[in-house]
Amino acid sequence: MKYAFFPGCVSRGACPELMQSLTAVAEHIGMELELMETASCTGAGVISERNQKLADALNARNFALAEQTGLPLMNICSTCQGVMSGVNERLKARPEYLAEINEVLAEEGLSYSGKADPRNFMWVLVEDFGLDNLRSLVKRPLSELNVAPFYGCYISRPTDVLGYHDFPQRGVYLEMIIEACGATPVDYSGKKKCCGFPIITMNRANSLTMAGNHVGEAADKGADFMVTPCPLCHLNLDAQQPDAARVVQTPLNLPILHLSQLIGMALGIDDAALGLNRHVVSTNPVRERVHALPLA
Amino acid sequence: MLEHDVLVVGAGLAGMQAALHAARQGVSVAILTKVHPVRSHSNAAQGGINAAMEDDDPWEDHAYDTVKGSDYLGDQDAIEVLCSEAPETIIDLEHMGLIFNRGSRGQIDLRAFGGQARKRTCYVADITGQVMLHVIYEQLMKAGTHVYEEWFVTSLVRQNDAVCGVVALDLRTGALELIRAKAVILCTGGAGRVYEPSSNALICTGDGYAQAYRVGAPLMDMEMVQYHPTTLPGNGALMTEGARGEGAYLINADGERFMERYAPNMMELASRDVVSRAEQTEINEGRDIDGCVLLDVRHLDRNTILQKLSQIRELGLEYEGVDIIEEPCPVRPGMHYMMGGIKTDIQGATFVKGLYSAGEAACVSVHGGNRLGANSLLDTLVFGKRAGESAVLYADGIPFADVPDSRLQEDREHIERILARNGDDGERAATLRLAMGQTMHEHVGVFRDQKGLEQAQATIASLKERYANVRVDDTGKVFNTDLLFALEVGLMLDVAEAIVSSALFRTESRGAHYRTDFADRNDDEWLKHTLVFHAETGPRLETLPVTITQWQPAQRTY
Amino acid sequence: MQFTLNVRRYDPEAENPAPYWREYEVDVPENASVLDCLIHIREYVDGTLAVRCSCRSAICGSCMMRVNGQARLACATKAKDMQADGAAITVEPGGNMPVLKDLIVDMDVFWNKIRQVKPWLEPVQPVPEREYLVPNETILDLTVAMNCVMCGACVSDCTSLEVDKNFIGPAALAKAYRFVDDPRDDTRQERLEELSEYGGVYDCTHCFFCVEVCPKDVAPLDRIVEIRERAQNAGVTNNAGTRHAKAFEGIIRDSGILDEPMVLLKSIGMNPVEQLKNVPGGVRLLRAGKLPLASGPFHHKIPGHDNVKRLFERVEAVEEAQPAQGVKS
Repeated sequence: MKYAFFPGCVSRGACPELMQSLTAVAEHIGMELELMETASCTGAGVISERNQKLADALNARNFALAEQTGLPLMNICSTCQGVMSGVNERLKARPEYLAEINEVLAEEGLSYSGKADPRNFMWVLVEDFGLDNLRSLVKRPLSELNVAPFYGCYISRPTDVLGYHDFPQRGVYLEMIIEACGATPVDYSGKKKCCGFPIITMNRANSLTMAGNHVGEAADKGADFMVTPCPLCHLNLDAQQPDAARVVQTPLNLPILHLSQLIGMALGIDDAALGLNRHVVSTNPVRERVHALPLA
Repeated sequence: MLEHDVLVVGAGLAGMQAALHAARQGVSVAILTKVHPVRSHSNAAQGGINAAMEDDDPWEDHAYDTVKGSDYLGDQDAIEVLCSEAPETIIDLEHMGLIFNRGSRGQIDLRAFGGQARKRTCYVADITGQVMLHVIYEQLMKAGTHVYEEWFVTSLVRQNDAVCGVVALDLRTGALELIRAKAVILCTGGAGRVYEPSSNALICTGDGYAQAYRVGAPLMDMEMVQYHPTTLPGNGALMTEGARGEGAYLINADGERFMERYAPNMMELASRDVVSRAEQTEINEGRDIDGCVLLDVRHLDRNTILQKLSQIRELGLEYEGVDIIEEPCPVRPGMHYMMGGIKTDIQGATFVKGLYSAGEAACVSVHGGNRLGANSLLDTLVFGKRAGESAVLYADGIPFADVPDSRLQEDREHIERILARNGDDGERAATLRLAMGQTMHEHVGVFRDQKGLEQAQATIASLKERYANVRVDDTGKVFNTDLLFALEVGLMLDVAEAIVSSALFRTESRGAHYRTDFADRNDDEWLKHTLVFHAETGPRLETLPVTITQWQPAQRTY
Repeated sequence: MQFTLNVRRYDPEAENPAPYWREYEVDVPENASVLDCLIHIREYVDGTLAVRCSCRSAICGSCMMRVNGQARLACATKAKDMQADGAAITVEPGGNMPVLKDLIVDMDVFWNKIRQVKPWLEPVQPVPEREYLVPNETILDLTVAMNCVMCGACVSDCTSLEVDKNFIGPAALAKAYRFVDDPRDDTRQERLEELSEYGGVYDCTHCFFCVEVCPKDVAPLDRIVEIRERAQNAGVTNNAGTRHAKAFEGIIRDSGILDEPMVLLKSIGMNPVEQLKNVPGGVRLLRAGKLPLASGPFHHKIPGHDNVKRLFERVEAVEEAQPAQGVKS
């Protein structure tokens, strides 16, 4: 189990705890990661509004770099996943367009075959590693904990671009993983809606209302914390949560965990190794409850 | 008091065109429609709109193809208007913002359609009607024309030999109102729901036919009911003639392009009556696939299908589970269009003062015994405009009529009687409609004879009796769609009766009206229109001569 | 075939109007649509059920409603695809619009937004005697937007509208695109300016719900992104959206990797009030050990970032060499 590991920007920026926890979990479950150091940002759906072809070329370059390693490509961000899948679909559908892009890549000695299958850590975990294997490694089942899944838009839609046809359960992987970790998934209407991050600089009030609504709803439905495979969602749901609480005029204090942190806790990995102290909304209440749970 | 100089009923292409052109004359105009304008059935016209756009294509050639297509029953003065005004109509549309597909110079591109000697059909992929409807609605929004949206006319008000308003139900609130108008233009579309199955939308209940008929305006050529050659067996949805225009084949169970035997020159692009009869013959003689023949586009270029026939590909996938790129799609003739309708002159005026009509609701007649594909959209715009303008001329300078309150009361009592029958012993409107539709399809379809027509006549008569006991579940006011449907079925039964009577009356075969007991066209006795008038004792039939200008009747081969 | 439908009902004339669920069992052909089931109920089981419908073939746009929680055209949704083992098919009115009765919503909300974008052509003058000459590629591009049947599915499930009724919304913006990209329209610049204001293209969150639920492949989000691109290229740049995109692009160009604080600062622009709003958030990040201290001039770059920069330049050079297409009259 070895992957060309596309880290994205945020795990090397504002969410260092994501990189930390992912690395720890990968090591623990025997997943080898070859860090794609020279890979660039996907453009996050922003560069495409300046120049679609440019965004496509950036991603084709990343795919080509992954192909050089001969390894399957894994990312750790819903947004990266969505952008990569979208670009890949466009490149595969129009060979003449792919050829145009490859002309641009040629200068750097790169070429993309059109055959990459970029996948998020969440998908890889379920589809390659397997939940039975995960269950067998769980040291401390997170029983009695209610966890609200938050997917992120880019990994949820459009389903036809994201391979849901071949993998119809991709829409419930988070719940499946939460259960494999021994916890109970919380159902609520906001779990696949927008966190608000993409418009935080354009329409702060709307953005924070979205974040506040989802966090509030999850808490009302009894969630002890929320888990997300998307670091951008994490930024809006965690780092902005105090401001979101003011906008929706509701006290909010719901810890937001990265997917790898949830898994790491169930695997019994050290809190410090998971970066659980690097959150705006304190994860202490969750840690205390988890530590009180019996080991399997 | 609600009142408008001109009130247009129906907001499809003909209705909106009539309203736009009436409003340009500076009078007070409103549209009343039982659905939002863009829900109208003009949407369903997929293939295109005909016009002699090219320099080497005189409009007279388009007119000749139309006359021939009509089996010489179309009025040639009207057809001359239709075809000569076609190119300017297309240009007007283009200037309004219509996005026609283009040729290599950026000019409006043309595609082939049935029954025509050359390419003459302007189009937008296979959503021409939809795009036209939306673009005309854009103009209506720009003009700010008042629309009574989701209102239903329960009856026309006629006083002193002239129509002077309508009684209508506001479906949102349940309020019944009298709307006075100096002129009323009926653009209420066709009556597909009189048949089962039909390619038509659920709203195509022929309201205007029955309402005009009831106030004394005769209906013309109602026996001329078009069966479209390519409808889906599942739900009757239409697969555009544009597919055959792009080169699609029709094949039977033996894999044979059977049109070779029926129309050796035009093949699949013969006129619709010819192709539908050929298909039905193949089906009746056992060369069918579960009651269908196959529409085959597999030999066409993939991009052509994706760009020009994408909607019908979706329809095939959606309703038959067939990807037309990979496999042929089962189709069969399906009830599609009423060539007949409210008799009007070329200005859209009916036999009753103050009452005008255009579009499928009207019979000018430009389609005669068989309408050419892509002439219906043209009909709506050319005659919608004329009806709008002439209604304004009529309305100019006359006063609003005084209508007594008792007129409103009559309709209110009728509705209350239906609402009062909400027990279990009445008849469900749906049961009556289904029986009517199946009877019409069986006996008044592609092939007809006296025995079957008489049987249909008896069935419709008995359904009318049963209708007196129609009941509803819903007694509320807001969006009582149960009541609406019951009212529509009452109107449809009148339309069915008019169709059957006219079909029995015409003892020959012409266009879409094929009598197995009178298999030949009989120009000596029947080169004329049938007119049906409403009377206490039942339909009263008369005839009207066909207007011939420059094309003498000749034998019709494709 | 048997189907069970759980329908969200609402009767405004009831004594105390409140929505409620009612379950119906229907026996219909196997390939029946959800609409076929509802029509069957209305015609033979319970005539009080109100639903808008007309064409039955996904062109009139009347029967938009939520089926199993997602906005769809009921006529284009097979019942058997919706009935998971044993569970009833849930049918509810569309969202983001007031319910008038049962499955019928007030579409005025929808149409008022459409009217807001001045949805008609303002023809380029002088109007030619014949048709405007337009390349077919342009027509094919506009046809994608004209495919819209105004069913309101995208509006029903739009997450931005859910929090802000002033957002023009996906359908109206896709409609606007149809004029922005029509070379026969004379008001492109005004349109782009208006669409870049509050409530316009920059209030879209990229949630992809409109793309997912659109039954006609209009992909409103893609049209919105295209309007942003057109607006930025047309010099409509004095807004946070453009500043954000520009800053983002610039940073990736130079370093290959995002510098979040710089994007934030540059997006907000020279607006001290807005800048202040972000101070507490910055402090929180710093305290949590999350804010990368290596921001601005100290921002780290990916190894070989020059390659990314050259890639940008190559793509831009190729694009400049390509001739633009436009209207001829």
